[in-house]
Amino acid sequence: MPAGHGVRARTRDSFSRPFRKKGYIPLSTYLRTYKIGDHVDVKVNGAVHKGMPHKFYHGRTGRVWNVTKRAIGVEVNKQVGNRIIRKRIHVRVEHVQPSRCTEEFKLRKLKNDQLKAEAKAKGEIISTKRQPEGPKPGFMVEGATLETVTPIPYDVVNDLKGGY
Amino acid sequence: MPFVKAQKTNAYFKRFQVKFKRRREGKTDYRARNRLINQDKNKYNTPKYRLVARFTNKDIVAQIVHASISGDIVLAAAYAHELPRYGLEVGLTNYAAAYCVGLLLARRTLKQLEMDDEYQGNVEATGEDFTVEPGETRRPFRALLDVGLVKTTTGNRVFGVLKGALDGGIDIPHSEKRFAGFNKDSKQLDPEVHRKYIYGGHVAAYMRTLMEDEPEKYQSHFSEFIKRGFEPDNIEGMYKKVHAAIRANPEAKKSEKAPPKEHKRYNLKKLSYEERKAKLIDRLKALNSVAGADDSDEED
Repeated sequence: MPAGHGVRARTRDSFSRPFRKKGYIPLSTYLRTYKIGDHVDVKVNGAVHKGMPHKFYHGRTGRVWNVTKRAIGVEVNKQVGNRIIRKRIHVRVEHVQPSRCTEEFKLRKLKNDQLKAEAKAKGEIISTKRQPEGPKPGFMVEGATLETVTPIPYDVVNDLKGGY
Repeated sequence: MPFVKAQKTNAYFKRFQVKFKRRREGKTDYRARNRLINQDKNKYNTPKYRLVARFTNKDIVAQIVHASISGDIVLAAAYAHELPRYGLEVGLTNYAAAYCVGLLLARRTLKQLEMDDEYQGNVEATGEDFTVEPGETRRPFRALLDVGLVKTTTGNRVFGVLKGALDGGIDIPHSEKRFAGFNKDSKQLDPEVHRKYIYGGHVAAYMRTLMEDEPEKYQSHFSEFIKRGFEPDNIEGMYKKVHAAIRANPEAKKSEKAPPKEHKRYNLKKLSYEERKAKLIDRLKALNSVAGADDSDEED
């Protein structure tokens, strides 16, 4: 029989619901709001059959470019041949999760703004750039004893005890 | 004891998936809840209010609720046990009381949102189908009826709550098919019958039949009614007074409650991440100091 390349081919495991999480999906997925420009993760929920994206987009992260009644338009990068295309798909909200990829960046922005404001009040100049981790500082080794190890002379009788 | 094969093995329990908690308790119908709560995404954070009508054995609970991820938020609530404040002390779970509770809730929310002057609703309860007309400045307050797990038969008391809220001035999409007095054959609502139910006419009729046929049962069954002087003839007037009192002052009364008692803690409190790390460091320090003492003893 031929291989079969239908839309949902080879999705037996990726679209299946996790262990002991089958059936009704929690209602918080429906209560989340998404604004244009938010980053979202596309993760297919096999319990809801409408508005599923193609299996390629499962696990991709993109930006929201459109919001409709029950679905969201997400702009995802896809490599086609030798170039990357920005693909625009529409996905129902059950298959979308808010992405935390920008969370660290947003927190850092807030913290930096706060630090800069404080520094300005005090009159200091600070750099809020992130520095990579440098080489570890040097240290003295504490409590080290010297143990000299010398080879022992070869003892034929002892070594051949096992049998030969 | 004869050998009985264990039906529910450990494997059974390991694979068992529990239903949602409120489904196990039998309190929430998630299929209905999903459809009631789901808000269009292009309406973003606009709340979708639902009029929750629940009946217990001795009380009626009516709330205006909207959903959020951390839990539902109640905008306003009205209970049947508040009706004695307005002059109704008996029959707190019948259709007429349900109408009063719905009316009270509607007037209360409108007053809270400062829309009560603009949306008077149906002042004289006639039993006809009444829908709120849009006012001048603001659009009417819209809510969706949430009946819970009740069977929605014609003449159910939840529709009494619905009618009360409609007449109070809240916009609730509905059809008159399930109001008391709807005739299935002619497919029409008989407003006279519905009006009778709103004013407790069905209770009065039962009282009259009991008085004639079984006076002792009448005395025992309606003892509280008789004690307060409610005759079958003046029930309607009594309910009219209650409606007027509700419209006059629908505000909720804040009850004085003592702060809850602190209870003794019987199980250990769960430590936070920092507390657990600190505990580990203390333990290691203690171990190191003991080990250090042991090492020095050995060397000596």
